[in-house]
Amino acid sequence: MTTNHKDVGILYLVTAIYFLIVGGMLALLFRFQLTDPTLNFLNAQKFNQAVTMHGLIMVLFVISPLGFALANYVVPLQIGARDLAFPRLNALSYWLYLFGGILSIISFFQDSTIDAGWTLYAPLTTSQFSPYVGVNTGGLGLALLIASVTASTFNFVVTIFRSRAQGLTINKLPMFTFSILLTVLMMLYAFPSLLAGVVILVSDRLLGTVYFTSPEGGALLWDHIFWFFGHPEVYIVLFPGIGAIAEVIQASTKRHIYGRTAVMIAMVIVAVLSFLVWGHHMFNTGISQDVRRVFTITTIAISIPFDAIILSFIYSLVKARIQISTPFLFALGSIMVFIVGGITGVFLGSNALDYILRGTYFVVAHFHYTMVGGGLLGLLAGIYYWYPKMTGRRFDERLGRAHFVVSMIGYNLLYFPLFIAWETPRRVPIYQTDLLFWHQLATMGGLIFGLSFLIMFWNLLWSLRNGPPAGNNPWGAFTLEWATESPPPPHNFPGIPTFADGKLSFISTNGAAHHHHETHLSPYPFAVSLGSFLALAGLTVHPLLLPVGLVILAISVVGWGRERFVSHEDSIGERWPFEKVDRVKLGWWTFIASEIALFGILISSYLYVRSASSSWPAPGTMLDVWHGAVNTFVLLTSSLTVVLALASARADKRGLTTGFLGGTIALGLLFLFNKYNEWSELLHHGVTFGSSLPASTFFLTTGVHGAHVTAGLLALAYLVSRSIKGFYGKENWEAIEYFGYYWHFVDIVWVFLFPLFYLI
Amino acid sequence: MVSTSAEAVYGLFNLFLTLGTIVGIVVGTYLLYNLFRYRTREDKPVEGEVSLGELPPRQGFPAKLMISLFLSSVVVLSLIIGTFSTLEYLESPPRDAFEIRVTAFQWGWEFAYPNGLVVLGEGRIPANRPVKFIVTSRDVFHKFGILELGIGIDAIPGKINYYWTEVRVPNIYEIRCFELCGTGHGVMLGKLVVMEPSEFDRWYGSQGGGAK
Repeated sequence: MTTNHKDVGILYLVTAIYFLIVGGMLALLFRFQLTDPTLNFLNAQKFNQAVTMHGLIMVLFVISPLGFALANYVVPLQIGARDLAFPRLNALSYWLYLFGGILSIISFFQDSTIDAGWTLYAPLTTSQFSPYVGVNTGGLGLALLIASVTASTFNFVVTIFRSRAQGLTINKLPMFTFSILLTVLMMLYAFPSLLAGVVILVSDRLLGTVYFTSPEGGALLWDHIFWFFGHPEVYIVLFPGIGAIAEVIQASTKRHIYGRTAVMIAMVIVAVLSFLVWGHHMFNTGISQDVRRVFTITTIAISIPFDAIILSFIYSLVKARIQISTPFLFALGSIMVFIVGGITGVFLGSNALDYILRGTYFVVAHFHYTMVGGGLLGLLAGIYYWYPKMTGRRFDERLGRAHFVVSMIGYNLLYFPLFIAWETPRRVPIYQTDLLFWHQLATMGGLIFGLSFLIMFWNLLWSLRNGPPAGNNPWGAFTLEWATESPPPPHNFPGIPTFADGKLSFISTNGAAHHHHETHLSPYPFAVSLGSFLALAGLTVHPLLLPVGLVILAISVVGWGRERFVSHEDSIGERWPFEKVDRVKLGWWTFIASEIALFGILISSYLYVRSASSSWPAPGTMLDVWHGAVNTFVLLTSSLTVVLALASARADKRGLTTGFLGGTIALGLLFLFNKYNEWSELLHHGVTFGSSLPASTFFLTTGVHGAHVTAGLLALAYLVSRSIKGFYGKENWEAIEYFGYYWHFVDIVWVFLFPLFYLI
Repeated sequence: MVSTSAEAVYGLFNLFLTLGTIVGIVVGTYLLYNLFRYRTREDKPVEGEVSLGELPPRQGFPAKLMISLFLSSVVVLSLIIGTFSTLEYLESPPRDAFEIRVTAFQWGWEFAYPNGLVVLGEGRIPANRPVKFIVTSRDVFHKFGILELGIGIDAIPGKINYYWTEVRVPNIYEIRCFELCGTGHGVMLGKLVVMEPSEFDRWYGSQGGGAK
């Protein structure tokens, strides 16, 4: 199965469009119910399920993946790379995404899927108030998606930093690639928070911990965790579209956008600020007024860099030779509606206005104007723009414009009435009858907007065969992807692209055949995803699937490790600031950065509930300090043995290498054994996952840490099995070094957990 | 306006709406103007166009942009100041406010009075007297809202939130829940009956003793 970035991009595109249809159908279902509150077309629970899954699917399974469909296809081409840094990991991301979506959809066919809104507010999502198994299945589907997103994150970070053509410095990156770089950097810190939230929620539901069911944690803890992810997610969804719009404007005006550097700086400011505005989702929750004032300032202030972006786009048109085309129309339409979305967003940044606006259709109308307007319409511009590159054909321009006109009519007919009917509470099938007309108008708009996509699908499918040949550069654009054939050959360019003398040229590889020996196929990404899917489905759908999934997972992980997969990095390229860090190492660093974020959120959650609790067991009362102290010693020693194993390998002492690796395993097992004793003593004394918040936080946090130790031991077992055969020596020690980063990280986490849980 | 909170919140809303509409119309018109002014079918390149494979050159200082950003900062700053002063007012209940406890539950509203009286579904308060709502929830996240009176505050289990208002017009106002709270969310309605002060005192006096 393919690992080539262009094929994976197309797979993403087709799958995201499939989910777009699913999410759109769900929307039409509840919009139909809303045409008449007395209609009992969807009962309250079905209505809530449709609303919830519509939100989750559209945000996580449609808009973001559409952005990554384009990113997969275009980013390597724009920076002059032959593929992403880790092609198999990229295929893995795709399959995990697909299976995550399938698992979420399966939950519909169990008793009830998630029905608490896409924001999954606890304690409504806990098993006390949502006792349905479908909620677990949906949650596990999200877990697969998070794994997919995490893998993509490392891949794009490493690719954009390590695989740029010579001369393509960060400040000269094409706008789309730059927006993807910022998107993945936001993802790197936002998604671990969602992961932590889902882990805690699933643990509350399946293991009985009491994070969200106790009033000390409860609703506000979920709010903090969710929105720390949720607000950056808004920009994660938006940025790929903005990047596509910038490219389309450039190609349509034949100029770089106005104030390019200012726009890039503005985007960086948005990306940083995005982590400092989550509190505006909590203005009514009674958090302290000082905190709310800060969040009011940051939230309203974030409109200024957005002003810079949008105004620069508009100034780009001044005195230009604007050539109007379908992608340009969509880009412009997107900007127009995004202006409405942006201005109404300032309303919601105002703490005082939030008292009335929060929870009403004002919010619904606003975020559809941004996410559908700025996000989806921008990406549609991108799809039309890069379609000739992907297929080698031009689409029918008249049908493209017809799609634009019909979709803009449908769009505004759908969402603008929601501003007028803003007094409707969100997520209710029953509302004030004087607003009936506006809701009916919106439903009609929704139908038109939905149907307008048929014009697009028809156009793009018909043109696959019948469109006129596109040539290399049908738009007269100037970024690198237009300098190769449409569609590009498997290795993308006729030679190694370089901008070393300020202008594009290709270094001939003189038939150096190694390009053609690169691997573009591997069955393992699919197999690993299938195994994970079946194993998780085993937890909530049918228990037999669990062992089957685990066996497939184990076999395919080993197969992945042993597969000969050739993918070279070019010898020359622009790599600042990571010239000295090879791509696997950079990948590990990025992975560990996201792990730090995950444990950061788990530890913060612990500190949060602890500070909210009126009493907490003194050190040494619930937990035995000795267990913790011994384990600290054991784990720190194991860090030392890994260092020694690496040193031995570099000194070419193969027997010693195996010995130290084996010693690390022994210490790791000792750690787990000690942990097992500690846990069984606690459980024996009636301290269970659910007995209290001190117990819940201890079991979950150290449990997630223990799972990391276990995963490390499995990797170690693999290293030892190869080391016994003399595999690691002075030529070949990198794997031990990479493993060392992970192991030291796990140890350092424990160095934080030990005092936090045992000593204070 | 029917209440002090509605006056404050909707006054601020109108400030946002006015400035927002002006900004939106100016920017939108400017965009469309440039689009129609500079669109072309001409194939002849004009000066300064970029050809394939050219990297972005150093651009001049975007003076026009910086002036625009300065202007929008002024708008934004005035909105922040407006918000803060409204907030100050909304969150400073008078000391002598009449206190009523509102507890949300799946799916309804419970009102508890200082004299021990507990009522389900229909709260009564006096007009022309400041009233402080002390809001919490018994089970999941809800939001206590009466849009007409400019009232809205989250009802969260384990947390107590406050909001105050002084209603000027006696009437029956509809309470709705504004946070998804399960299948009954859409029908989680309640009534706030605002009475003439003298009438309220009579009613309150007649109820209190019995409930204790």
